[in-house]
This record gives sequence, structure tokens and C-alpha cells, in this order.
Amino acid sequence: MTLQSLDTYLVLAGALFAIGSFGFLARRNAISMLMSIELMLNAVNLAILAFGAFVPGLAGHASVIALFVIAVAAAEATVGLAIVVAIYRNRRTPLVDEYDAMRE
Amino acid sequence: MFAPPIAGAALLALAAEGGSEAVSSPLLDLVPIIPALPLAGFAFTALFGRRLGRLAHLVPLAAVVASWLIAMAVVYEALTGGFGEHGAGITLWTWVPAGAFQVTVGLFVDNLAACLLIVVTTIGMLVHLYSVGYMAHDPGRWRFFAYLNLFMFSMLLLVLADSFLVIFAAWELVGLCSYLLIGFWYRRRSAALAAKKAFIVNRVGDLGFALGIMLIWVSLGTLDLREVFARIGELDHTTIVAIALLVFCGAMGKSAQFPLHVWLPDAMEGPTPVSALIHAATMVNAGVYLVARTNPIFAQVPEAMVVVAAVGIFTAILAASIAFTQNDIKRVLAYSTLSQLGYMFAALGVGAFSAAIFHLMTHGFFKGLLFLGSGSVIHAVGDEQDMNNMGGLWRRIPVTHWTMLVGTLAIAGIPPLAGFFSKDEVLGESFKLGFAWVWAIGIVVAAMTAFYMWRLMGKTFYGPPSGHARSIWDRIHESTPTMTVSLVLLAIPSALAGLALGLPFGDSVLKRWLEPVFAGAEETLGHAAGEFALLGVDGALILASVFVATVGLLAGIWLFGAFRAGGRPAMVARISGANAATRFLYRASFAKWWFDDLNHLLFIVIGGKVAAACWWFDWVVVDGTVNGVGRLTVDAGRGLRRVQTGRVQNYALGIAIGLIVMAGSYLLIAGR
Repeated sequence: MTLQSLDTYLVLAGALFAIGSFGFLARRNAISMLMSIELMLNAVNLAILAFGAFVPGLAGHASVIALFVIAVAAAEATVGLAIVVAIYRNRRTPLVDEYDAMRE
Repeated sequence: MFAPPIAGAALLALAAEGGSEAVSSPLLDLVPIIPALPLAGFAFTALFGRRLGRLAHLVPLAAVVASWLIAMAVVYEALTGGFGEHGAGITLWTWVPAGAFQVTVGLFVDNLAACLLIVVTTIGMLVHLYSVGYMAHDPGRWRFFAYLNLFMFSMLLLVLADSFLVIFAAWELVGLCSYLLIGFWYRRRSAALAAKKAFIVNRVGDLGFALGIMLIWVSLGTLDLREVFARIGELDHTTIVAIALLVFCGAMGKSAQFPLHVWLPDAMEGPTPVSALIHAATMVNAGVYLVARTNPIFAQVPEAMVVVAAVGIFTAILAASIAFTQNDIKRVLAYSTLSQLGYMFAALGVGAFSAAIFHLMTHGFFKGLLFLGSGSVIHAVGDEQDMNNMGGLWRRIPVTHWTMLVGTLAIAGIPPLAGFFSKDEVLGESFKLGFAWVWAIGIVVAAMTAFYMWRLMGKTFYGPPSGHARSIWDRIHESTPTMTVSLVLLAIPSALAGLALGLPFGDSVLKRWLEPVFAGAEETLGHAAGEFALLGVDGALILASVFVATVGLLAGIWLFGAFRAGGRPAMVARISGANAATRFLYRASFAKWWFDDLNHLLFIVIGGKVAAACWWFDWVVVDGTVNGVGRLTVDAGRGLRRVQTGRVQNYALGIAIGLIVMAGSYLLIAGR
């Protein structure tokens, strides 16, 4: 297995996604969770681009999808940060496990 | 008022031998008015009667009197052959137009219906008249008269209907009226219970009748009486037996035959005019009428007729034995009614249909008279019904006494009163048609009837006044004229109906009237019209029944006295001696052969246990399952509620685990 293979990229993307998932589930800080989401999005993006590079005929589609993901990620980050700031102003804490107003 | 049209009709019936077929008479158009008038009276009184107060009886009374007049005209026309030999009918409208199931409502008058019309309208009218006085002080009189008119409508519809379904509807309507009128004083617990008892016991019989009608429909595809009778022979024997027995089941309920006889004595809780009209003279005869009307069905199956005869004659002797010891004046009469209805069924069962109808008519008159008389007695002694609190009343209420004496002698079968002719015909026909056992039991019952009726007379009217009657002796007075007039008007047919209808022997007026109705059945049964031998077997039978009736009366007079109060201590000694000699029989009779207790045991105690078991099964198993499912859902929801923590990371973990499980299982399955 050479470094320049699809598998290598997919392993990297998988690892990044796993780290992002772990961060999202385990970190208590809302900002860290947003960062984890970015990490997962980028891992997916990486996988898409890898497919685009190695599978003939997917290159065009892959680039378009990746650009869409980047745009959506930017919008998501903006809205997410705005929400986090709004909650922080209300509750005076960035820790998500104290945001339990939706409990039954 | 009553006798002339009958006598006239009799003469003309003899004159017009065999009317021509399919005669259309203008009077036929009047037939629907006969039941319509009481119905209108009911509607008017139900809507406006309360405001009329003490005048509430006027409209219902006018309705039945008008109905009586029209009915008499129709009866006259029918019996003189104006409607043709086999009667004529009119179809009013199609009641149930449902595909192949077509039921039309029509009225039909033949000679049998005409005979019933005489009884129903005449006694109905006199009872209405009597009730004006009897119910004078009752605040609910508007209700009473409304019910009475509704009953008249229902009974007339029952008699005139030309289809089984209409008969059944009318059958249920008279049952409803009976229920309403037994429970007329519904504040009294015993009256409310008696009404329910009558209704429920009747349901048992009506179930059979309904099944019989359904069987007729599925096997013949029609419910029209004449069509059914014409085609009944097409069916196989077993089906006809089933139809006959099911129809008889309905008749047993309505006419209170064993074992459904228990409701009638309790029905005496109703006002006395009701007892006279519904529970003696008309409604309870509906069963007899039904079997007589369906005679072409019964004639096909002689074995079913034996059942009818056996049930009838057994009820006759059972009820007569109970009547020996009852102390409530109305109950004695109620058991006597049961006994006489038993006679009628016995006559039907042996195939003597016209004898049964003859007894139905005469019994309607004299039993109506006896009941109205008992009501007059009860009124006179201040609503007391126990005969032990009466005695010596003949001096204080002479009209009631003399009319009741006529009724008593009539029911006892003393010639030449009405009961003699009809009872003799029932017994004589039984003997001659080969049912000697029916005759033998019947002749015993005849003696018993004479005895217990004289016991009633003796305890009520003769001897010294005792108990309650003595304490209010000076205030005992004869009833109002409307009541005594009714008594006298009923006493006339009780005395003379036998002479008018029952002569000449063997070929009586009534027999000729009813011949077109019953001739077919008698032919099917193979009953040859034998010669009447006044100096032979028939004369002997007449002598036998007169003899036993006289013996019964003399025994009654010996024990309970007549007119004068003398010799009372000796009689008391005789009575207690007779009671002591028959200790078991006395107790059995007094306890009505424990039938109420048996029913209590069967249906209240054992039936209650079964019902409780069913209730338990329903509660624990059926409801338990349903409630269990509900409770499971609720508990599961309550447990799963904890999952909703409100923390976003818990939810995300759930999503992640779910994804992993799904993706992993996909890989496992697809990778294999």
C-alpha cells in the first residue's frame, strides 16, 4: 500500500471523523463542539475529494460537492457561533451539560 | 246494549248459508278505523290529558265507544257473510320494502277475528266505563286512560293483523301496555317488580315466537298469514313441528301457561280494571287466538297438538289447585284465569278449535265480570284485598254480590249460564276426539273450579264480617253507578252468551260461524263431525260435568256457607279439619307449588352465581387484557421518559450509536 492510494486518504478521513465525533460527544464546551463539527465536515470533504481524485468520472462532481460543503460549513459555523453566544449571554456558561431547559 | 246485535247476527248467520266468495263490502273500509280510534285517543290523551285533569277520561271513552259501534257493524257484516266465507282484508301500506323481504301492513276480518272483536271491544268499552268510577280519585288518571287506549289499539291490531310480523309487533305492544299498566302505581315496589316480572317472563315466550316467525320466513319466504297457511303443507314434517312448537312457545308466554305462568298472579298488582281487561279477558287470550289462528299449521302436526293439550290441561289442574288456598281475592281470580286458559289450550290441543274460541268468549265475559266485581269489593272495603278481612258483604253491596254470583255460577258451569255451554263443549269434544285423559283431568278441574269459586264467594260475601270489614262496616257502600252499570252489562252476556251461541248442541251458532276457519284443519286431522246424541254419550258427558260442578259447589257451600251467617263455628271446624287432613297438599297449594321459589333458586341463586362467574371472567380476563395493554403502554412511557434529559450530547450519542449499529449490521449482512 503506497501513500498515494485511496485507502490512505480514507483512513485519514475516517480518523479525522472519529476524532471529530469523539470531540462532539465528549467535550463540554460549546465552542469545542462547534470545532469538532468542523473537523467532521472536513473529514467528509477529504473523503469526497479523495474519491474525486482516484475514481475517473467523479472529479467534477466531487469538486462541486466539496465547494457546497465548505459553503454550508461556513454558514453553519456562523449560525452556530451566534447561537452559542446568545446562550452564553443568557446562561453565563459555555458548558452544554448545563443547558438542560428542554428536559422532560 | 250487547245482546241484540249478537242475537240478530246469529239469526242472519243461520239465514245466509255460505256467503259468496270475494264480496267487497263498503264496511271493509271502516275496518282500519276500529284500531285507529283508540290510537288517536291515546295520542290525544298522552299529549293533552294532564291538562284535562278529572275530565281526562272523556276522549278515550268516546274513542272506544265509537270503535265498539263500528266493530259491531263490521262483526255483523262478517258473520252474515258480507265479507265472504273466508273473510276479506285490505292492505294499508308496505311496511318493510327491503329487496326480497317485503312486509305489508294489512287488516283482515274473518269470522274468527269477528268473534275476537266482539270480546275485545265490548269488554274494553265496559272496562273503560268502569274505570271512570274506579280511578276517580287517582291523580294519574290521564296516564291510565292513555295506556288503556293504547292497549285497545294494540289488541285490535293483534286481532285484525294479516301478517305474522304485524301480529308480532302488536304482540309486543300489548306486552308493553301490560307492563305499563301492571306498574301503573310504580311508586309501590311490589308493583314495579311485578311489572318487570311480567315483561321478562313474556320475553322468554316471545323469543320462541320470534324464532318461529324467522323459521317461517326462511322456509316459506312469506309472512302473510293466508299465504303461509296455503303453503304450509309444502314443508317437511320436522320443520312444521318446529314452527308449531315455537309459535306455541309465544302463546305460552302471553297466555301464562306452565312453566311461564308465574307472571300472571303477580300482575294483579295493577289496577283492577287492568286485571279485568288485560289479564283476564283479552291480552291473555292472545295466545289462544294465535294458536287458533294458526290452526292450519298445527293441524299438520298432531304430535305438537298433543303438547298443547298436555301443557293446557296440566296448567288447568295446577292453577286450580293453587287457587284453593290463596287469600287475596284477585289472586284467586288470577289462578282461575290460568286454569281456564289451560282449558282453552286443552281444547285447541285436542282439535276442538271452536270449543276453545267459545270458551275464550264466555270466559272473557264472566272473568271480566268477576274481576270488575272484585274491584268493586276492594273499593267497598277500603283497598283491602285479603278475603280474611271480608265476609257478610252481600247485604252492603248487593249489586256487586248478585253480579258476581252470576259470574261464579257461570264459571262453575251451572246451566244455563255461559260457562256451562263452553266448558261442556271443551270437555265433551276432548272425550269424543279420543283424549279421555284430557277429559278426566278436565272434569276434576271443573269440580275444583266450582269449589274454589264458592270459597271466594263464601269468604267475601257470606258469613259474619271479620277483621277489617267489621271495623269499617258502617262505611261500606256500593260503588258508583258507572261501575255497577258495567257489572250489570257484563252479567248479561255472562248469563246468556251460552244460550245465544251454544245452541243447538252439536251444531251451535258459534260452530257455524267458525266453520270456514277451522274446517280445513279438522279435515286434515280427520275429525269427522259425528252425530250429536243427547240421549247417548253427549248427554252422559253433559250430566257428568253438571254433576261435578254441583258437587264442587255443594262442597264449597258446606265449608264456606251461603248468605246467612249461621253455623259458622261448625264451618270453621270443618275447614280446619279439611286443612289438617291434607296438610301437605295445603302447604303445597299455599306456596303455589313452590314455583316462585324454584325460579328464585334457578334464576336468582344459581343463575346469579353463573352470572357472577361470567362477570368475574369478563372483569379479570377480558377487561384485564384490555386494561393490561393500556397499563403497559403507560408504564413504558413513564419509564422511557427519563431518556429525555434535555442535554444535546446524550441525544447525539444515541444517534451515533444508532448509526454505528445500523452501519455495522449492514456491513455484517452485506459482507457475508
